[in-house]
Amino acid sequence: MSYDDWFRKDRLPHIFCAGCGNGTIINCTLAAIDQMNWKKEETIFVSGIGCSSRAPGYILTDSLHTTHGRAIAFATGVKMAKPDFNVVVFTGDGDMAAIGGNHFIHACRRNIDMTVVCMNNQIYGMTGGQGSPTTPKGCLSSTTPYGCAETPFDLCELATAAGANFVARWTSYHVKELEKSVKAGLETPGFSFIEVLTQCPTAFGRRNKFRQVIDHVEFLKSHSLLKAKRDRLVEKHEHVPEDMFVVGELTRRNRPALGVKP
Amino acid sequence: MTRIEFWQGNIACAEGALAAGCTFFGGYPITPSTEVAEHMAAKLPKRGGAFIQMEDEIAGIASIIGASWTGARAMTATSGPGFSLMMENIGFAIMTETPCVVVNVQRGGPSTGQPTMSAQGDMLQVRFGSHGDIAIIALCPATVQEMFELTVKAFNLADKYRVPVFLMADETIGHMREKIIVPDTVERVERKPFVAGTPAFRVTDPDNIPGFPAFGTGQHVHVTGLTHDERGYPCATNPNLHMALVKRLVDKIENARDEMADYDVINPDAGQVFVAYGAPVRTVMQVMHDKKDTNIGFLRIRTVWPFPEKALAEFKNAKRFIIPEMNLGQISREIERHVCVPVRSIPKLGGELHTPEELVAVLEEKA
Amino acid sequence: MKLVIDEIRCKGCNLCTKVCPYKIFREGKKLNRRGIAVPELDRPERCTNCRLRNLYGRQLCGVCQLTCPDQAIHWIDEEPYEPHKVAIEY
Repeated sequence: MSYDDWFRKDRLPHIFCAGCGNGTIINCTLAAIDQMNWKKEETIFVSGIGCSSRAPGYILTDSLHTTHGRAIAFATGVKMAKPDFNVVVFTGDGDMAAIGGNHFIHACRRNIDMTVVCMNNQIYGMTGGQGSPTTPKGCLSSTTPYGCAETPFDLCELATAAGANFVARWTSYHVKELEKSVKAGLETPGFSFIEVLTQCPTAFGRRNKFRQVIDHVEFLKSHSLLKAKRDRLVEKHEHVPEDMFVVGELTRRNRPALGVKP
Repeated sequence: MTRIEFWQGNIACAEGALAAGCTFFGGYPITPSTEVAEHMAAKLPKRGGAFIQMEDEIAGIASIIGASWTGARAMTATSGPGFSLMMENIGFAIMTETPCVVVNVQRGGPSTGQPTMSAQGDMLQVRFGSHGDIAIIALCPATVQEMFELTVKAFNLADKYRVPVFLMADETIGHMREKIIVPDTVERVERKPFVAGTPAFRVTDPDNIPGFPAFGTGQHVHVTGLTHDERGYPCATNPNLHMALVKRLVDKIENARDEMADYDVINPDAGQVFVAYGAPVRTVMQVMHDKKDTNIGFLRIRTVWPFPEKALAEFKNAKRFIIPEMNLGQISREIERHVCVPVRSIPKLGGELHTPEELVAVLEEKA
Repeated sequence: MKLVIDEIRCKGCNLCTKVCPYKIFREGKKLNRRGIAVPELDRPERCTNCRLRNLYGRQLCGVCQLTCPDQAIHWIDEEPYEPHKVAIEY
């Protein structure tokens, strides 16, 4: 495969559980990066703590695996000190939306030139399945044993409101679309945010009636509503189903950005 | 050409950093350290460096660690509450052996405490604050001149030992204006060069310090705060590996204790010995000047951590060590560990310096 | 070209059986040495990338490879004159 030489082959197979979508997202991101003709020594992967954040450890570039939630803050330092570098951040929903929420919105506001790929499995996978800020209402987790009572974050709307230049959402089923979106994000100067809904068979699926990985992927596929279709429904004043999430390229604009390669 | 200036301590610190070749500052404003950030914000962009005001102190230190890995000399400045926020990432910098400089212009704590008053309450926090077994280097300036010189030294020690180095100033020194002689050039110690193609954290020298593989040099280094092997790959369940790694990180600082010790000894044959660092040094100097008594000794410490214990041994006839500190005796406890004679702490909180009369009263009290 | 599943990397999640538009994968039945049932190939000659990659000179489809979370799917060149199983579909 073309992006195969971006992997640290001595580290594979990785630690993700069987059926975990994180590996898929790494594939799509690397496939997009491979098309950018970036040099490996000028590409830096940064991550925080969690399942998603183990990803840079399997990629053959300089990589920074940092503290919980702070990946974007570390990446800001790397990018500001060396604007020549291409900075990509892998993060998860708990890492980025809970403990790192402040760093996330401020990076969007600064519109700093980096790409953030958020592997949203809607749960804290590495610590064994606690509720996260994106756990849907009513879903079970080890800290929401009677169903999650809180309203989840819409990370893409958050990023758009905070000022990011590029925002997209896909799922781990939409591999080709995801690859294209990541590539578009990498090409966009300024802050690019790509949220990827993914399956976590071990911590999420097991408690929420997706015992089989394929059932969860089928759910992600059937409950994703293309942005164009949503817009059509809104235009015709038709009902937009509440249980579906919008996928597609949600925001693309050209606001002034920080730390762009000279 | 050296030149003479009349600078505030915080400005001297920022100028020291610029002289040392600092090209990145990431921080968050906090009294009484803000002038450092303000001065860097004005000067760094003109010199091709980067200044960024982050959203909090956690992000401030995170950004300088990131910048340091690109090969830049990076610094942040803060005070008590911000310093507490930084603790986790300080541990990360220690674990990943990232050189960086953190200036802590100390103010009265705990909590918000006295933002505009002086204190030395973070002296144990800097040593033990981050979780796990750690070793760091902390320097304490007592004059504006030392604010400049010790900032330069902090960068050199950070790069040499690959560890975060702390400039533990206090509000008194930070906000005081004083004459300063600014040298034309300063000494610069570079990071140990990396042998291309070798594992990223392999140590071959007896000083326990690996070479620095900066980002962008094609070494594909993986930097992680997890327990890692010499390739930098996480290996968090191997007990022997963890023991060896933490021991090495502590040893590389502790074994160099004598090498980096920086202190002045006055009247080594004295019976009563003052030990001071930071602002109280100035009061002791006044007492030494007024008394002119060879039976009063003075140990003035600049490298508080690792503590220069050999300095205490130079006072062979000491009957008593007197330690004025702007805290409740944090370093007195460390000194008690090393000496067999009585240790008299003179704690003072509230933000005002010790007066010479207070120290003289202790000198004259019956032992 | 020939599709190969790396038995060392595969964790047996069977996602490939779900996403392949030509349904060339089916769930494996035999556990390997590591206790994992690696999917089997069912008439892989239906795979477009296997048949046409060399002709077009670029990657075709490749959804299974992108989806495979364990980076276990890749293509290798066939040996010259390797025997082929011919399938005739009506």
